Amino acid sequence: MTEQLEPVGMAPAPTTQPAAANHARSSVAEDLLPVIQGVGGVAAVYQAQPLWQSIAGAAIAAVTGESLPLVAVTEGAENVAVKVRIGVDTALPAPKVAREVADAIRKHLFPRPAAVEVYVVKLGQ
Amino acid sequence: MTGSPAAQHQLDLVPDALLAGRAADGDTAAFEALARRHGPLMRATARRLTGSLADADDVVQETLVQAWKQLESLRDPAAVKGWLLRIVGSRSIDHLRKRRNHMGLDEVEQQAESHVEDHAKPQIRDPEHSAVNNSRVEALKEALAKLPEEQRRCWVLKEFNDQSYEEIALTLNISPASVRGRLARARITLARTMEEWR
Amino acid sequence: MNTPDDALECGHSLADLSTYLDTGEIADPDHLKWCPECQAGLASLRRLSDLGSELLNSDVADAGSGSDDWMQSILDNLRLELRPGRNIPLRSGHPNDSLFETEGAITALIRSVADSLPGTAAGKCRLHGNITGGTDDAGTGSTGVSTGTEVEAAAGAEAETDAAAPGTGITVELEIAVVYGHPMAQRAAELRRELAKTLAFQTELNVEAIHITVTDVLAPSAPSTPETAAPETAAAGPEPTEIAAAGSGAPGPEAPAPSTREAPEPADTEPTSREDQP
Repeated sequence: MTEQLEPVGMAPAPTTQPAAANHARSSVAEDLLPVIQGVGGVAAVYQAQPLWQSIAGAAIAAVTGESLPLVAVTEGAENVAVKVRIGVDTALPAPKVAREVADAIRKHLFPRPAAVEVYVVKLGQ
Repeated sequence: MTGSPAAQHQLDLVPDALLAGRAADGDTAAFEALARRHGPLMRATARRLTGSLADADDVVQETLVQAWKQLESLRDPAAVKGWLLRIVGSRSIDHLRKRRNHMGLDEVEQQAESHVEDHAKPQIRDPEHSAVNNSRVEALKEALAKLPEEQRRCWVLKEFNDQSYEEIALTLNISPASVRGRLARARITLARTMEEWR
Repeated sequence: MNTPDDALECGHSLADLSTYLDTGEIADPDHLKWCPECQAGLASLRRLSDLGSELLNSDVADAGSGSDDWMQSILDNLRLELRPGRNIPLRSGHPNDSLFETEGAITALIRSVADSLPGTAAGKCRLHGNITGGTDDAGTGSTGVSTGTEVEAAAGAEAETDAAAPGTGITVELEIAVVYGHPMAQRAAELRRELAKTLAFQTELNVEAIHITVTDVLAPSAPSTPETAAPETAAAGPEPTEIAAAGSGAPGPEAPAPSTREAPEPADTEPTSREDQP
């Protein structure tokens, strides 16, 4: 069956923000991607918010046809929340790589305070 | 199991109904065995419906994600193949809609793309097929590409997936009567083209 | 719905024949038996249907095999989505950071280590114990206070924060299949060593025990029906609990709890004599 769109008001953020803010946010996410990929040991960056888990994400994508940025960035009043899922290659220890990714993101966003979530979803290969 | 070929093949001998049952229980190895078994047909269908191999693989992946989530809703485990193919149909249509919205492709471009795709692809030499048969199939591909999209979809879903009018109607969000009509028109056009070709 | 040139002279239409082909239903079945036009129309539609099958076969052949790379990479992506499992907190360098490894990533790693040994294939893999650390499962990485195991945890290496390391007292359970002819006990021991090393390097888990059970013995030649041996717990016998201490030089925990899983084997253990830390 064809997927039905969820009503727009349901989930927090994206669809209720004005277009300009949308653009600003997605470019922060876009800027962060090479920063993360540049950290030694990062083999891949995966979709932070898998489509099927994110109602809002599915709604936008279905309407505009564009894909969500890989890195999820949410700009709050207090800080910038960043969420990223990575794959790490086996040459370097994953816990260390995860910490370096968080550092790199924090440095990039400085002086804005950041709250960073890093998930290592794949080890090696 | 992942890894060594000997281990993989264990599940390849198990029939669909059993695999689907295990997969519904959470057995990812059984689910993967189903994916491998029906993957080629899923890919072929998605390719005919979307017009491109790259889209086809995306559709197959999305289909498998959706299928995993909805396995419990499958009432008849033995019918898992048809069920997977129906999801492929829906996802292919959705995929096309998204792509069109994003890139503004119109129908003519779509057809041209699938047309070029087939001809750019190197011919797979199947020794069973005579040279004549190969070009008949090629002629059919061309004729198919020229059909109006809705007719082509009905035809592919019928001929590739053997879906009923009701199933096709659900996938395409039209009435079974419309399916019957479009299918008939597709066949008439295709049959006529192929007769002339001979 | 019927186009003008769809009609046959006998008054029936190709559209009717098309429906008949699919459903076996037609208003006037007897007519079909003797009407040459309808017969010709049906024959034409059947030829088209045959050609359609040829196209289908050709397309499926073009699509390759389900064991090819394209399917493999789809399945790889799928595994990320389907079974990520629990989030296992990692130590973080900043209070506002939350770092995790997914259980799925770790079990996939374990399975790939097993798969890489000759004649060995991984089956089910489970992690048991205080995986996420502390009583709170929400896992804000820097605050996983374990209950009662701070002694072991504090011994852990670079204490970037003051938090106790989550993931203490972990047991790994792994089922494997071994191809007949390969030395099972040796493989299991080798595997245990490799796993201990790899887990120490790639995770912050404090692994107390790695239990390996051979659940299948596979025929050495191609994929015929495998002979399933009774679960071979003996393979896990001699050194039931060699541990992560082998890895990074972090001090090993004290005497591991004797394995309670495989009853028959003696609880002889000697690992602690190797790394003597006060």
